[in-house]
Amino acid sequence: MLIYLDNSATTKPFKAVAETVNNCLTELYFNPASAYPQAVSTERKVEQVRLLFTQALFASPAEIIFTSGGTESNNIAIAGATEAMRNPQQFITTSVEHPSVFEVFRRLETKKVNVEYAGVDSYGAVQLDEFKALLNENTSFISMMHVNNEVGAINDIEQAHRLIKEYAPQALFHVDGVQAFCKLPFAKLLCDMYSISGHKFNAPKGVGLLYVRKGTPFAGGFLGGGQERGLRSGTTNVPGILGMGEALNQYSKNQNEWLNGMRACKLRLAANIKSIKDTLVNGPDPQKGAPHILNISFLGVRGEVLLHALAEKGILVSTGSACSARKKNNNRVLHAMGIAGERLDGAVRFSFCPFNTLKEMDGTAQILSELVTDLRKFKRK
Amino acid sequence: MPESEWVLLVRYSEIHLKGLNKPFFERKLIEAIKAVLSDMDVVIKKAQGRVYVHGLALTDIELAISRLKKVFGIHSVSPALAVDATWNTIVEAAYTLFADALKEKSSASFKVIARRADKSFALSSDEINRQLGGLLITRFPELFVDVHIPSIRLGVEIREYAFLYIREVRCAGGMPVGSSGQAALLLSGGIDSPVAGFLVAKRGVTLCAIHFLSPPYTSERARDKVEALTKILSAYTGQIRLHLVPFTQIQLLIHENCRPNETVLLMRRMMMRIAERIAASEGALALVTGEAIGQVASQTMESLIVTNEVVKMPVLRPLIGFDKQEIIEYAKAIGSYETSILPYEDCCTVFVPRHPLTRPVLSKLVESEAQFDYNKAIEDALNNTKVVTINRHLDYSPQA
Repeated sequence: MLIYLDNSATTKPFKAVAETVNNCLTELYFNPASAYPQAVSTERKVEQVRLLFTQALFASPAEIIFTSGGTESNNIAIAGATEAMRNPQQFITTSVEHPSVFEVFRRLETKKVNVEYAGVDSYGAVQLDEFKALLNENTSFISMMHVNNEVGAINDIEQAHRLIKEYAPQALFHVDGVQAFCKLPFAKLLCDMYSISGHKFNAPKGVGLLYVRKGTPFAGGFLGGGQERGLRSGTTNVPGILGMGEALNQYSKNQNEWLNGMRACKLRLAANIKSIKDTLVNGPDPQKGAPHILNISFLGVRGEVLLHALAEKGILVSTGSACSARKKNNNRVLHAMGIAGERLDGAVRFSFCPFNTLKEMDGTAQILSELVTDLRKFKRK
Repeated sequence: MPESEWVLLVRYSEIHLKGLNKPFFERKLIEAIKAVLSDMDVVIKKAQGRVYVHGLALTDIELAISRLKKVFGIHSVSPALAVDATWNTIVEAAYTLFADALKEKSSASFKVIARRADKSFALSSDEINRQLGGLLITRFPELFVDVHIPSIRLGVEIREYAFLYIREVRCAGGMPVGSSGQAALLLSGGIDSPVAGFLVAKRGVTLCAIHFLSPPYTSERARDKVEALTKILSAYTGQIRLHLVPFTQIQLLIHENCRPNETVLLMRRMMMRIAERIAASEGALALVTGEAIGQVASQTMESLIVTNEVVKMPVLRPLIGFDKQEIIEYAKAIGSYETSILPYEDCCTVFVPRHPLTRPVLSKLVESEAQFDYNKAIEDALNNTKVVTINRHLDYSPQA
């Protein structure tokens, strides 16, 4: 028995996705940039997927650039926009961004670029007052995540957009939507750029996209054969893109049901864990945050130890974003929320997908209760 | 063989000091050389105080040298041009070597150091030095002689063939592995223990290794790390049998039953007991640890005495007088440092108390141990120990 609760790290692809990918690898293996009919029909399939995304993002086809995933989308959004600017001045981001945004800004800082970091409240959402105070007519570029990957806090992009229009009207606004896309109802994007990663919504790894609103100055990513209208060269990843299209197709058909299902799992697990004493929710109230992320601290237990103990029982969770799991004591996000000491050490992230069931939540809580009791006996003295 | 061929001239370390046992050490050394060059089509020949590696492809020479650098018992290696032992061919070979060595130099000092093992050769060693030196200066006007600190030393050895070389690569030294029995290394995953294993193996000792696992307090990655360290060591030592001992239950028993400030020492006493049993079953004659006096609380003189007290086997502590910085320098040279500092918990760091004892009293520890049935726990740990055989990893370089 395996209960997979690390869906913010990656998800298991839908069966239909795997079949689509398999078909691309065995039958539809043509390069869409070639000239013969097979290539043309391959290209059409890719363009159909692009259209599917225009519906989910309320965008036009020319606004969608397929990439290799969230990290690339975030990197080229910042680099491509910066390169197209005449005189970039102030950059603003937040203290809780994913490393694929955060580290890009850190590097810009070493090149003497002025970067400001807006803090978050104790629930992990960006403090819009503080954010507003940073905005000015010299602000060139702003990057803010939509849903936080560690605690599921949802940032108020609509309000941030309004503030930007008022106080920094010439700034470009990039939103990292990797943990939000498909996990929040589809809606018109109120930003200039938006990053998406396929494998976070049951598509394959190695594919994603960057939305770039029409008219946004953007120099693009890789140079080469001129794919993606010259903005992101590289042979089109047909299996990835078609697989990602199929995943979106599934979500489009079932989104309501699935969002409710994930929320129900999250609430059930949270309620069950509440009966284990000395546990605290990190991040927003489970009713409010994203439906698929629940972060809990088990005081007196080290999160890493609990993770390994759960893994022995076939329950897979995370103590931080998977990109940081190899680094010691590195939870920048919880730290920024003011979480420290036992609460920081004992934090575990549970993240859900449409495959999870309420029964799994009950089983997980049962095992958690036993393990936590056991492990608490062996606190450091 | 030659008219002209590149060979590797391998010099012994201290085997030449041995008396009647010398053939035994030489055989072990040649076995080790054969093992590290087994995938190359070479012929290995023994000569007086030397081993020659013939038949190397030119493109394999650097790889072969990098492997021989890790064979204990070798003092140094020179890639040498082997030619027929006639004066004209020797001179031509010397010209070839110098033409290459002088490519990027406007001037250079040099010296010829000839050794005439074959006394039937017409010129004496000193005559070769003088005559060849003279010819070289005429041919390469940028050369001048400096017999004290030359920047280029041309070695000429006249044996069955003549061997000429300029480069001399220092190797690991020591004695061939397999010439001094076996020892069991307590391998933690930190910086010290691989270095301790290296130093003992350097004296010709075959190693097996023992690592203690504490799931769920330690992760699978910690285990991968210790396997990676074993692979790094295996380039020097040859095959190592790695024993993975489940240690969580014993730690929990100690934690439940004993005073917090004693836990580390009690843990180490249990480890020593288990290690001695495994060592005996492997035919090892001693234990090896990376301890250095006073490095941490469990390595004070008093602590070493109480952890040593539970075993009869000798405990070799090659780092006993080393500073941490010296150990780190060794670890970097061996290639284990980058892996050792990967941040995964090992079993020693899991239950570390805030104030561990530094001046333990033996009778009190013995009293604490009487609080629980550790013999059964030790049997359980031994019964559940898994052994992984790590074969010699020649060109292994773990991803950090």
